[in-house]
Amino acid sequence: MKTTRVFQLTALVLVVISVVTVGWWAIDLRGFITERTQDALKLHEQEVVAAQALLDAGRSAEDVRTLLPSVTVEGNKAAVSQSVIDFYRAEQQSRTNQYVWESAFFLLALCACIAVISRALRAEARVLQEQDHFLAMVSHQFKTPLASLQLSLETMSMRSLSSTDQRSLIDRMLSDLGRMESLVTRILDSVRLERGRVTLRNEPIELASAVARVANQLTDRAAKDRVAISVDVPKGLEVMADPLAVDVVIRNLVENALAAVGPVGGGTISLNARRQNGEIELSVRDTGVGFRPEDSSQLFQKFSRLHPGGGSSAYGTGLGLFIVRRMMQLAGGRVSAHSDGVGQGAQFVVAWPVAPTEAR
Amino acid sequence: MNAVAAHAPTVLVVEDDPHLAAGVVENLRLEGFTVHHVGDGRAALDWLRRERCELVVLDVMLPYIDGLTVCRTIRSEGNNTPVLFLTARGDPQDRIHGLEAGGDDYLAKPFHLHEFLLRVRAILRRWEWYQTASASPAGAVLRFGGNEVDFRAFRARSFNGVTQELTEKEAMILKVLAERPGEIVSREDLLERVWGYDVFPSTRTVDNFILRLRKRFERDPAQPKHFLTVWGVGYRFLVEGES
Repeated sequence: MKTTRVFQLTALVLVVISVVTVGWWAIDLRGFITERTQDALKLHEQEVVAAQALLDAGRSAEDVRTLLPSVTVEGNKAAVSQSVIDFYRAEQQSRTNQYVWESAFFLLALCACIAVISRALRAEARVLQEQDHFLAMVSHQFKTPLASLQLSLETMSMRSLSSTDQRSLIDRMLSDLGRMESLVTRILDSVRLERGRVTLRNEPIELASAVARVANQLTDRAAKDRVAISVDVPKGLEVMADPLAVDVVIRNLVENALAAVGPVGGGTISLNARRQNGEIELSVRDTGVGFRPEDSSQLFQKFSRLHPGGGSSAYGTGLGLFIVRRMMQLAGGRVSAHSDGVGQGAQFVVAWPVAPTEAR
Repeated sequence: MNAVAAHAPTVLVVEDDPHLAAGVVENLRLEGFTVHHVGDGRAALDWLRRERCELVVLDVMLPYIDGLTVCRTIRSEGNNTPVLFLTARGDPQDRIHGLEAGGDDYLAKPFHLHEFLLRVRAILRRWEWYQTASASPAGAVLRFGGNEVDFRAFRARSFNGVTQELTEKEAMILKVLAERPGEIVSREDLLERVWGYDVFPSTRTVDNFILRLRKRFERDPAQPKHFLTVWGVGYRFLVEGES
């Protein structure tokens, strides 16, 4: 990475030097051609003076014309020839034009090089910054469950606890391990998705059963947080997508809703689907913390864990919605988020293309 | 401000991760503390405006209002309760931010339970020393060079009649120096007594605090008469002022 950067910077410096050289060359040539033209004209004027001297010395006009053919001789008067002046002026103009076009072409080409190199440099800096941010966030995400795990283990080793207390600590540790495991899965998913290293299948999937499967898996967790999940997805709606991706998208949206409803002490999550304009829309609506409407686009960015109050929070991994958006992009679908504001709940809508069998 | 805790000291734990919070709360209770827990910055501010405690264990990344803002807010409202920051970010810069916000100590996650409990006790011990030392009428007020410092109210009136609100750390440094007038107190000693030995990466911090005290209480801070530097060692405080 560092060597590439050195090469790019060296190339940039060389190109900049070339730009300066070409610019200088153009200006210098222009000066040179003007000078040469003036010299030629001066020479012509000297010929006129010489011709006049010959005429004054009594040489015939015919002789003078033969000796100095470029000078106009009328009677015993020698004069500057207009055609000679025109010739030199035209020559000057044509040379100047040639240099202007040539240098403009070279300058343009060199400027394009500068643009390409600086763009590459900027892109590389952005990638580096994103990597740093990614690493910082990943380590940050792991530290809280790790801290909790360490605390539980040290509590067990430092104190003599009743078997009930021990059991509850073990449950807590298992849950922390689960959190870290799901974090690893999500990080790997997001990295693969980002690098385009996933090949998604494209086949008809019955949405109602996919939603029911996820809802069933999360019902217990929802009940613990006093959240009711209601599902209203008509049977027979088929979307064109990858079965695993559909599962991940629905799961992430419902988990996101759970994380939003939990902090307000419970509520409801409703899943509805409908067919519209060749798409099947699934809406996940919750009565949770909501978000500021202006933050709706930020929600889908990696590691954006917006908090209703404006700051970031410890809810979730900050990767769930990023994965959803990426998967929907790959599936040729779309995703959007809406909330009336903090404390007003939120609605996430995903739409997949209708499966051809369904469309018929 | 806070009464010396003759009862079990009360600790407020502000942590939004339920598991970590439960672990911290349980361990502090097992150590004999009275513990309250809130899960976000707003609830923490509400609680601190309503109730008293001897220590706040404060997470930095919190819902609604972050921990640094919570700390700055309570300090600006005159609440000098010691604060121990817990955070997942542990680089020196973050540590400095935490201490500048008015925190007393800073522990990076994941941490060792033993170390956490030691730090909690160390903060409480330092605080208790300050409270005890300022409890008697003789220890409560310090007069020097026309200045008058009230250690219990964290307030002072300087020689020019201006009322000064002291931060908890300024008051503690002043207290350590005033306990040993005329003696040389090393920077390390000041660090240890006021912050704990390993909180700050360098003793430069002490110098900055001394500069602040000179600005508040010296007629000519460039030519100090009361807060004298002993080159390479530390500081000497003179009640009468150097002639």
